[in-house]
Amino acid sequence: MLNLSSFVQKAQQLLDPTQGLNLTDSDKNPSKASLFQSQFRLPDSQHPLYEITAELTIPPSNVTQGGKDQDRGFHYAGKLHLSEAYLCFSTTPSSFLQSASTSTSSAFTGQTHGGGPSGNGFTFPLSSIRRVERLHSQNFQFALAITTWNGISQDALKDNKDKKEVREQRITIQLAGTRVACERFCDGLKKGLRAAVGNVGKLKKVIGECYSEYLLRPEEQKSANPPDAGLGMIFRYPGDPKKLRDRAKMRLWAEYLRDNGRNVTLIRQPTFHKLIRVGLPNRLRGEIWELTSGSVYLRLENPTLYADTLAKHSGKESLAIDEIEKDLNRSLPEYPGFQSEEGIGRLRRVLTAYSWVNADVGYCQAMNIVVAALLIYMSEAQAFFLLSTLCDRLVPGYYSTTMYGTLLDQKVFESLVERTMPILWEHLVKCDVQLSVVSLPWFLSLYINSMPLVFAFRVLDVFFVEGPKVLFQVGLAILRINGEELLDASDDGAFISVLKNYFARLDESAHPKSENPKLRAVTRFQELMVVAFKEFSGITHSTITELRLKNKDAVLNNIESFAKRTAIRNLGPESKLLSTDELGAVYDRFYGVLYERQQRDLIIKQEEARRAKNNRISRIGQMVDEGNVEKGRVGLGPSTSLMDYDAFREFLAGIAKWAVSDSPTQSRRDTGSSNGGGFYNSFRKNESSMSPWGNGPEPADHEFLQRLFRKWDFDSSSALTLQNVVTGLARIKGKRGIMGTINYFFELHDDDGDGKVDREGILRMSEALLFLSRRGLEGTLDRATAPNGMMTEGMVTPGNEVPDQSVNERFLGSVSAFIRRCFEYADPDHPNNQNSQQPAQQQTTSRQEENLISIDDDDAAQGLADPDAFAIGDDDDDDFDEENDDDLLAMDSPTGSPRPAKRSEDTATSSLQPPSSLHLDPSTAPSSISNNDEDRRRRVSRQQSEKANIALDPNNPLHITLPTFRMVVLADELLEQFFESSFPCSFHLVEGINMSSGNSSNAGSSSYGVGGLGSTFSHMGFFGGGVGGANSQQGGAGAGRGLRGVLDNIVTDGMRVAAEVRRRMEEAQRELEKNALPGQHKPGGANRGGGDDDDDDEDDGVPVEGLSLGGNGNGSGGAGGSAAGMRSGGVRSSDRDLLTGADAEASDPTAEAQLQQGSGSGSLGGGGEAHIGGTAKVVGVEFDG
Amino acid sequence: MADTNAPKPSSSVKLVLLGEAAVGKSSLVLRFVNNDFQENKEPTIGAAFLTQKCNLPTRTIKFEIWDTAGQERFASLAPMYYRNAQAALVVYDLTKPTSLIKAKHWVAELQRQASPGIVIALVGNKLDLTSDSAGSAEVSGGGDDNAEDSGDARKISTDEAKAYAEEEGLLFFETSAKTGHNVTEVFTAIANAIPETSLKSARGPGASHAGVSRTEEQRVNLNGPRDLDAKEGCAC
Repeated sequence: MLNLSSFVQKAQQLLDPTQGLNLTDSDKNPSKASLFQSQFRLPDSQHPLYEITAELTIPPSNVTQGGKDQDRGFHYAGKLHLSEAYLCFSTTPSSFLQSASTSTSSAFTGQTHGGGPSGNGFTFPLSSIRRVERLHSQNFQFALAITTWNGISQDALKDNKDKKEVREQRITIQLAGTRVACERFCDGLKKGLRAAVGNVGKLKKVIGECYSEYLLRPEEQKSANPPDAGLGMIFRYPGDPKKLRDRAKMRLWAEYLRDNGRNVTLIRQPTFHKLIRVGLPNRLRGEIWELTSGSVYLRLENPTLYADTLAKHSGKESLAIDEIEKDLNRSLPEYPGFQSEEGIGRLRRVLTAYSWVNADVGYCQAMNIVVAALLIYMSEAQAFFLLSTLCDRLVPGYYSTTMYGTLLDQKVFESLVERTMPILWEHLVKCDVQLSVVSLPWFLSLYINSMPLVFAFRVLDVFFVEGPKVLFQVGLAILRINGEELLDASDDGAFISVLKNYFARLDESAHPKSENPKLRAVTRFQELMVVAFKEFSGITHSTITELRLKNKDAVLNNIESFAKRTAIRNLGPESKLLSTDELGAVYDRFYGVLYERQQRDLIIKQEEARRAKNNRISRIGQMVDEGNVEKGRVGLGPSTSLMDYDAFREFLAGIAKWAVSDSPTQSRRDTGSSNGGGFYNSFRKNESSMSPWGNGPEPADHEFLQRLFRKWDFDSSSALTLQNVVTGLARIKGKRGIMGTINYFFELHDDDGDGKVDREGILRMSEALLFLSRRGLEGTLDRATAPNGMMTEGMVTPGNEVPDQSVNERFLGSVSAFIRRCFEYADPDHPNNQNSQQPAQQQTTSRQEENLISIDDDDAAQGLADPDAFAIGDDDDDDFDEENDDDLLAMDSPTGSPRPAKRSEDTATSSLQPPSSLHLDPSTAPSSISNNDEDRRRRVSRQQSEKANIALDPNNPLHITLPTFRMVVLADELLEQFFESSFPCSFHLVEGINMSSGNSSNAGSSSYGVGGLGSTFSHMGFFGGGVGGANSQQGGAGAGRGLRGVLDNIVTDGMRVAAEVRRRMEEAQRELEKNALPGQHKPGGANRGGGDDDDDDEDDGVPVEGLSLGGNGNGSGGAGGSAAGMRSGGVRSSDRDLLTGADAEASDPTAEAQLQQGSGSGSLGGGGEAHIGGTAKVVGVEFDG
Repeated sequence: MADTNAPKPSSSVKLVLLGEAAVGKSSLVLRFVNNDFQENKEPTIGAAFLTQKCNLPTRTIKFEIWDTAGQERFASLAPMYYRNAQAALVVYDLTKPTSLIKAKHWVAELQRQASPGIVIALVGNKLDLTSDSAGSAEVSGGGDDNAEDSGDARKISTDEAKAYAEEEGLLFFETSAKTGHNVTEVFTAIANAIPETSLKSARGPGASHAGVSRTEEQRVNLNGPRDLDAKEGCAC
């Protein structure tokens, strides 16, 4: 149960609302890693491994700012954290240990006093650390001296080694912890440093693009080409540099960087944050943005991603690219750089590259504006990674396809306004002014589109350090400052013009009439910043997080109902054939299935990752579990709106009974995934078999489903859109007319669309009919309908059957009649071929079989002699069928037992063929049938065999046309009803199929796949649950094996099928042996035992079987049904036992269940294979008679 | 009451523009508001707000125009803008068949979700790219959408769109924001089609329909007297 419970736990985590907001999931403590990543702005690959309380000392030599204790340098108490590739120090006392409380883990989200989430300290990539020494300090147990590569590029090192011009950056850290803790930390650090050595190359590449490297270089070494600091270097930066005091700022920064390290080796001290608040100098702006937002660390992880992406997708087209092209000429057009090809080219490349790496987001209008703004200050690669950081972390969901992040933050903003400015809020409500029509563009374009650029960039400076709360603080400040005027505005228009006016005058004095010149010098923008960060300092990251959580559901629901409404309305004219309710239900189911599947995939992946980790296989697994927990929900922008075949099956299984699998625990997938033998594998297999379909019934896999899928998949994209599904359903359900349904069914089987269905097609049609009806027929069926001409009286055995069964039984008759008639009325493809000599090899095959039939089945011979006896409406027909029925009784008895099959095999090989039967090849027909009911098949094939008709000869190709098909269908009342109502009604769009009934029918029918079709009846008739299980298993496998030799000779493409069958059989056998635990159940013994049972029961069973023959087969109400149910319960519990790894005490039911499972995989499974497995049995039956 | 003093009553009408991206919504508005045309207009983020007066013989309508973003993903923001709108311009590009489909979607959305009685005009823009643009075909020689050899890039016939418009009870126009053809006519027609009962006066005392009046009925009650007077004026 261990795995199961951890599974459940995972599922619960998903449901836990506090897990929302894209908090990624780490292993043991879901939110800790993501909190750590947010605090230090580290990539998702980083996890908090070790942490320790420490004191950072920056030695006086590095200090130029006059400080309190200049002599002794600066001391900062805080926490030192180590992740896989980073060493971080922060004065913010947050802790990310497993044991840490949520509040200590999220300490950074509270008041940060202008320090941003990462506080004062540093975030060193381990590759930037040159040397770590342990100092012998008097005061502390442990002190580390850390020397970085700061400012020492490799070549500079050689040149200036003795000059000492380049000061080493050397800081000291005293660790305050127990000796053990300190040592553990140091060990971790050592390991990390060793691993980081390989990344020094990357680091050099990344910092080479940082302007600070150039800035701090001694004059004589300044090369002609400084690193790219954006379009501003070519087209000038916006604003008047003098007014911006750019040179002074630059000097201050140069000084700061010289003392405290540059780019990745920068140490954050209070001055750093102050310098940011006054506005960044133009040429450093890009670099500091990159640093504070953490996008530089992304770049460090994969420095060539940008160039690689462009190269990889060069020349390709996409919708996003079309959209991007439309907007390129209209992105900050007032900036000269974007009136040039250079600027537009950069913009195009960055947006395009991002649309490739994040196809879910693609391109959203407003991104062009944001990226254009970034490109003024940074290189293309820098802008690319910063855009990535924006979309993923800083403003998640803003640019997604549903823009849920934008809408959510508008709700958050509205509640903040309501909370902080109740009077204004009331006014807005009174005037029916919707705030977001005004504020949405602020957030979406990060104020770039709303304020003059120079001011917007000032906001961005702070935004990148302190995070999204800044957007809210500024927005609130704008409203606060304009409060009075806004209270006078009474509609959207007035409201907007007040603010427009305000933005246009941001550079004016905030207090133009003040006496105090200093006060007069304060601009409106400065006022705005002060109000934003002082007055609204209470708006913290946690405020925002809380409000986002609170509003998230409502926003998503809104979006989803809008999306649903829109999607349904846009489905096109065909959707009108379905009711609104039905459409709604289809929509819900469609996206529900996709969502569920994604969630499951995620859980499975996480589970695998966890296991991989537990097994200490590698660290790779860790990467896997970092996916977005909430992918797939429509409101979040579905990551897919396409349904693949498996999802389609799952979808159908939710609405149609026949689409539910017969063998719930066995899926094609599992069989495929179990590689090699061994206990562990079967263990794993069972474990994973729980998950692929979640809690829902396991969908069937049948050729019919594949056809349906292909038919619905208009554009042959191997995936269905909602439109495809609705159109597909509308054609079946919508056209209530019987003709429509008949046509549809015909088209479904007309592969080449030439209006003809060949022999194979006819058989497939009948298979499909049986497949669809195997859980009983639905819709309005006239139960009292007397069997028509073709219906055999004898089949409806009086007295012993519930009416329901009789209908279903009659349907079997109808289907067999259908086949006969189809062949009878089929048109030959090449009439001339009919009499031509057949190839010897083929002939032998067919002769043998036919011979078998003629020997074993007198009626067949009779039929042979008189093909006309099958004519519709022929009186003889009834007689014949009655006879036939008697015969069936006799024939059925040996069903599934190996002995008779062998006998027939023997007969086959020894017998001679009467020349008269040359052109008769009944075997072709059954060989291609894959249905789940051996019993039905038996009849069908029998009738086919009886129908000794030239039409059955594979060498006489034939086909039926739609009119023929129609005629044949309409000739049978039950078939007519099937197409009229039963088939369309079998799709329960709105109500779905009842889960419990689905399960029970599931359970009941599980025996189908197990023992082959007919055996269901045999144990329905005379076995208790357990015995029946063994029997059915035995029957299926045994019969199949015995038939192999025969099979080889039968089918048109006999060799292939035989090989397939053999493979399946062997697989089944292996499966059997694997599942039966050693010493408890020798498979052979089980087989024999089962066989004996079978034989014994044969005698008793004959009459009973005859009676139950043709019954519904899903055991509706019968003893067999409950027995089967028990058995399938056994399967599940055995699964669970396996799951937990408990030694499966092979008590009888369990063993049987396992056996059953084994044989199930032999006879069911992948479409083609399944039907071949089925074939084997049918043929076996065929010869028994 | 109020208009006994004012010779020309003035009312404001909220109008929203909807349609696929780059069909020329913003250009239409720009033409109407500033009688201007720009090749490179910044894409609309969320929605742009503009106002313009429309002088009818007997009264003035002040349009408060919400020009929405056309990109598909902005569609979920649209309800925010068409809320309470009394008129809507659903624009398609008559050289681009998909844009009419999208326009139909918008019409359906508006009919079901917007204020009841909203006046909807279906507008096929970029008439300048077609050969039959009255007298302006030559002007369009260098149209940005590569006009076909014949100079006619029209993909949606007037009849088709017109038939649809009639079926749905929409006003229908084909315009060119580039040449200005039919642009003011659209707005004038809308101004005329706004039911008097749904008119509210332009900003003024008592004009703010108190509280959360969202339904037509409430508006009618508030402005009833004025509207009665206005009725005569709008007979153009």
